[in-house]
Amino acid sequence: MTGLSSKAEDEFGRLLPADVTPSARLFFDQFQRAGLPGRRVESWHYSDLRTKLRAVPEMAHAPDDAARAVARHKLEASERLRLVTVDGFFAPDLSDDISAVAGIDISPVGEAEFFGGAADPMLDLNAAFSRGGFLLDIAVGARIDRVIEIVALTGAETDRSRFGRSLIRLGAGARAEILETRDEGFAGFGDSALFIALGEDAQLDYACRCRETAGVEVQTVNVMLAARATLRAVSLLAQTPFLRRQFFVSLAGEGAELKLAGAVILGRNDHADMTMVVHHNAPACVSREIFKYVLGDHANGVFQGKIVVPPHAQKTDGKMMCRALLLSDEAAMSAKPELEIFADDVACGHGAAVTKLDAQQLFYLETRGVPHIEAEKILIDAFAADVFDALESEVLRDLLRTDLSDLLGEEEPAS
Amino acid sequence: MLEIDNLHVSVAGRKILDGLTLKVEDGQVAAIMGPNGSGKSTLSYVVAGRADYEVQDGTIRLDGVDIMEKSPAERAAMGLFLVFQYPLEIPGVATMTFLKAAMNAQRKARGAAELPTIEFMKQVRATAAKLNISQDMLKRPVNVGFSGGEKKRMEILQMALLEPRFSILDEMDSGLDIDALKTCAEGVNALRGEGRSFLVITHYQRLLNFITADVVHVMSRGRIVKSGGPELALALEASGYAEYAEGAAA
Repeated sequence: MTGLSSKAEDEFGRLLPADVTPSARLFFDQFQRAGLPGRRVESWHYSDLRTKLRAVPEMAHAPDDAARAVARHKLEASERLRLVTVDGFFAPDLSDDISAVAGIDISPVGEAEFFGGAADPMLDLNAAFSRGGFLLDIAVGARIDRVIEIVALTGAETDRSRFGRSLIRLGAGARAEILETRDEGFAGFGDSALFIALGEDAQLDYACRCRETAGVEVQTVNVMLAARATLRAVSLLAQTPFLRRQFFVSLAGEGAELKLAGAVILGRNDHADMTMVVHHNAPACVSREIFKYVLGDHANGVFQGKIVVPPHAQKTDGKMMCRALLLSDEAAMSAKPELEIFADDVACGHGAAVTKLDAQQLFYLETRGVPHIEAEKILIDAFAADVFDALESEVLRDLLRTDLSDLLGEEEPAS
Repeated sequence: MLEIDNLHVSVAGRKILDGLTLKVEDGQVAAIMGPNGSGKSTLSYVVAGRADYEVQDGTIRLDGVDIMEKSPAERAAMGLFLVFQYPLEIPGVATMTFLKAAMNAQRKARGAAELPTIEFMKQVRATAAKLNISQDMLKRPVNVGFSGGEKKRMEILQMALLEPRFSILDEMDSGLDIDALKTCAEGVNALRGEGRSFLVITHYQRLLNFITADVVHVMSRGRIVKSGGPELALALEASGYAEYAEGAAA
């Protein structure tokens, strides 16, 4: 154990049900040994969960009728094939009957089905507590034309701790477009995990929009790509009181390709931390990471990106870029791009930049009659929206673009 | 239409405009000529409302209304337009989006309804064709990757679409070859008439061969030092600005 265990760790121990499975107990022990991560843990330095999570809310339970009614109220009509979770539990009765669609199979997830994720205390905590997630299987060679949407909702009226854990698998050569909408309300604590495994030559466009995340929330996405598989994953984060969204990616098969991108739009005292560790575990894999932050008021943005290239991963092509636009003097950005390269025939690079809105461009727009606030929105939109181009799916791109301009339209950018 | 009275302006403690007084009548095309550093571009920025200038004294009136406290956008909605000497590139903002935002913002400020998209497209296409602006240019982000001539034609396109009552052309001829200059000048001349005035800022008389000025003012050391008819421009072309620079120094 590292030092004294904090109050929160004890509370988690108290919440652990008496009848936990042996493996859940193992994960919890692992979590306890590492402790709740904080400033002293290098990979969590900028997101001090230890200080942030003083009290642990009661566990969320499998949704009852009342909880389902609360969640149902938030669902809007949609053309998409929808999978709904309530407080992390898959809710088939709120979801579309997705199994009727050829090539898609949906089932409750079993503990044995997850592939090994990264060594991370919050992922261990998730493994210890999670129950009730789903397994989404896209069959070998299947082409799914309709967008599948995962909607994460809450059914709780008060603070709860949520531990969603689900798995998406695409068989060899399968293609799909998945949208994840996380709208679990501002309250409580969340520690979710999503596992994505792509078979050989499979292609997935995955867009996640996170709004109104929990008071303290950690989201972990574990990715495993087989040979020549392609994942294009874009996140749009906004209105996050305290969010850490972390990607652990293994490019496990030769020629796999990853595009990881995101736009982070924060105001108030919002804190969002995008952390990613991309392991090029096979030769000739390509990864591109591009993230844009727009920070107003007292917002705090964090970017940590690490590309790891072991000796055998020759012909690796990895590039990482992070840019932040500061709209106020009180907003802060911490960026830590890293490369760990042990192979000699690679092309890798990274960059980070922090800027302000260009006064000359603003003036130019204003002389054309565009009021100052509008001109700012146009420039902010232009700054952030190009990260969505990482997606091939036009539908998902347009969705995120619309979301972004709605977001910018709602609030006046802080100055 | 535009009345500037005793304008004193500094930038970072350095005096640029030193008691400038100028009047441009309704329907008039007035040229301002002057050597480098005489304050011509500063004048255009201050009239357009750029914030980083320190105005110590003086007034600017447009149609009798004092515009000193008005924002650049408010001035634009009143009918003011500036053709930039160096138009800005704005990556990520589609030209059509920009044009529509500008046209609708001004309509909104004047209490008019938004332009229907079809009508907007029609207007842009027709005006662009007259200025040799291709559909491809309209598809690109604002001014990004445009040549100097293309940028200036885009400025004239904006001017033609926004139909300003008072336009300032800040060295419109810089960076233009003779054909592009003709095209731009034709765009300006097409707008000339009752109810529209122009302030043409230039170093060279050449531009005035294409846009005939009603009056010519000579600017030196931050003020107007001489005014006359088009013949004054021709005289300047022959003799240069030495006389005015020395005169101001004395």
